[in-house]
Amino acid sequence: MDVLKRNNVTVFGEGKQAMVFVHGFGCDQRMWRLVAPAFAARYQVVLLDLVGSGQSDLTAYDPARYSSLQAHADDVLAVLHALNLREVVFVGHSVSAMIGLLAAIQEPDCFAQMILVAPSPCYINDGNYFGGFENADIEELLVAMDENYLGWSSIMAPVIMGHLDRPQLAAELNNSFCRTDPTIARHFARVTFLSDNRPDLPKVHTPSLILQCAHDLIAPTTVGTYLHRQLVGSQLLVLETSGHCPHLSVPQITVEAINRFLNTGVCRQYE
Amino acid sequence: MSEADDELLPELDLRLTQENLEDLYEHAPCGYCSCLPDGTLVKLNHTLLNWLGYTREELVAHWCLQDLFTIGGRLHYETHCAPLLLLQDQVREISYTLRRKDGSTLPVLMSAVLVRDLDQQPLVVRITLFDITDRRRYEQELLRAKVQAEEQREQLAQANQLLVSKNEQLTRINADLDSFVYTASHDLKQPVTNMAGLFQELKRTASFHDPEANGMMSMFEEALQQILVTIQGLTEVVQQQREPEQVASDVVELQPFVEEIIRSLQPGEQAATFTLDFAAVPRLRMSRASLHSMLYNLLSNALKYAEPARTPHIRVSTAMVKDKVVLSVQDNGRGINMERHGAELFQLFRRFHPGVAGSGVGLYLVNRLVHQAGGRIEVDSQVGEGTTFHIYLPQ
Repeated sequence: MDVLKRNNVTVFGEGKQAMVFVHGFGCDQRMWRLVAPAFAARYQVVLLDLVGSGQSDLTAYDPARYSSLQAHADDVLAVLHALNLREVVFVGHSVSAMIGLLAAIQEPDCFAQMILVAPSPCYINDGNYFGGFENADIEELLVAMDENYLGWSSIMAPVIMGHLDRPQLAAELNNSFCRTDPTIARHFARVTFLSDNRPDLPKVHTPSLILQCAHDLIAPTTVGTYLHRQLVGSQLLVLETSGHCPHLSVPQITVEAINRFLNTGVCRQYE
Repeated sequence: MSEADDELLPELDLRLTQENLEDLYEHAPCGYCSCLPDGTLVKLNHTLLNWLGYTREELVAHWCLQDLFTIGGRLHYETHCAPLLLLQDQVREISYTLRRKDGSTLPVLMSAVLVRDLDQQPLVVRITLFDITDRRRYEQELLRAKVQAEEQREQLAQANQLLVSKNEQLTRINADLDSFVYTASHDLKQPVTNMAGLFQELKRTASFHDPEANGMMSMFEEALQQILVTIQGLTEVVQQQREPEQVASDVVELQPFVEEIIRSLQPGEQAATFTLDFAAVPRLRMSRASLHSMLYNLLSNALKYAEPARTPHIRVSTAMVKDKVVLSVQDNGRGINMERHGAELFQLFRRFHPGVAGSGVGLYLVNRLVHQAGGRIEVDSQVGEGTTFHIYLPQ
């Protein structure tokens, strides 16, 4: 099996150390396009699509295997092995922040630093823990997804690729980014939002930077604070932005924050 | 509208041109709103406010677009729609549900464009919302039908699985039965042959005082003979089963072949009359041994189950029906009550005429041989009139 093909791995940039970007639920590797190129001069930039997302091999999506985030973590490790990479800088958005942590627990030598963009170890409220959602909310998301996938036909997916260099094409395609098979998206939504990785957090020993959005419905600030407390050697930086995708809403600030962390190992809150 | 167009207008009723942009925006048959890149609402039209039940003052600068959605819609917006908008500057036809001030909901279809400033930084998002109450209802019906179809497919798959396992079970039972028949015929043959030998010896040497003993001796001999015939039949079945890959390469000339069988069946007396008609298909390509066994059993049955009151008349013939060869054996014997026995006619050890000696193996064997040759067998029978067996063979 060619894991580079399976995960649609893209590699570019100059540098000894690799920087691996993994997208979250609802999109694909193209969501890094405002951020990843900024690191290409100093790092070997590695982008990938999680199996079931973007241009990954959808036939490899076995729901039984991918019923936990660990399978995606194993995939990330397989990609690192295939490219012969060690001590990488891992940048994971949302659910992929957790996927990265799971991979770092399994093979700590593969990871030098972790950048966790809008992470959450558990989306569901549980006793004193405030994740932001109830189980019913997730069911509602699945309904909302169903309503949007209704008009989708199976022939739409293949048309989507290859116009990053020709943005005028993007406008012609309706919602062309981040499209995938509706059944898989539904399954991945369930796996993502019902996962609870809180027990794994103390097992992480890789230094990490938590990039927390100031107003994020998906990962509220209380979740960022919780994560910061649970992750040994973590730093927390709150970005003054709304939404769940700072790498799209404030790409410049996101790049600066990551650079500061990588250069100095310290990333204090902006004064 | 260009100036050139304006020049064409004076012909039209002036009232038509008094469409006012402000009024068009406020009372358009769809909801309009604009928001900052983070979602903060800056402008909403009257139609949308009317749908929602809020005043402009309540929403502008205080609420975000995504706050108007149900929680599932907000999750979808944050994870899919918002990044999409920033990536491709527009989204189209996304389905959401608005929550009104009174708590009720309104399904809408949303399209949005992102306007950027001169530095290409996101400036404002323009949103159009269409009320799709009826459409959503149809969609939900479609979804329900889809779910139902999937459930039924699941049930079918399960039923199919059950059939497959039942079939496997039956195949296993059948194999067990075959090996049972083999074991029975094999293990019985030796002791019964011994008994027959011992009995012949006993008959030669022993003398009995009881006058009824001789009668009992001959009844015993008959019974013994019956067992031997049965075992012989079983042995034939077993042989046939052990060599299922018989080559069908023999070309059998039917006329002499059948005449030979008839001679072996009634060597001396000519009690029965036979009609042979192979004009339609004079020769068959199949295993000589199988064909012999089939015809031998059918013809001997025809003689055995003859109606005592009349001379047996047996007709053996061939015909072409569509692309199949039909080999028929017709008699004017006792006939079989098909309603009662039809279903079990070809089962092993089934007997329908207790008054006539038989082992219950013959028709079972015939049926198996026909199936093995890729054919099938049909029976017509009337009690008191006779029976016809039609063997359909592929050619």
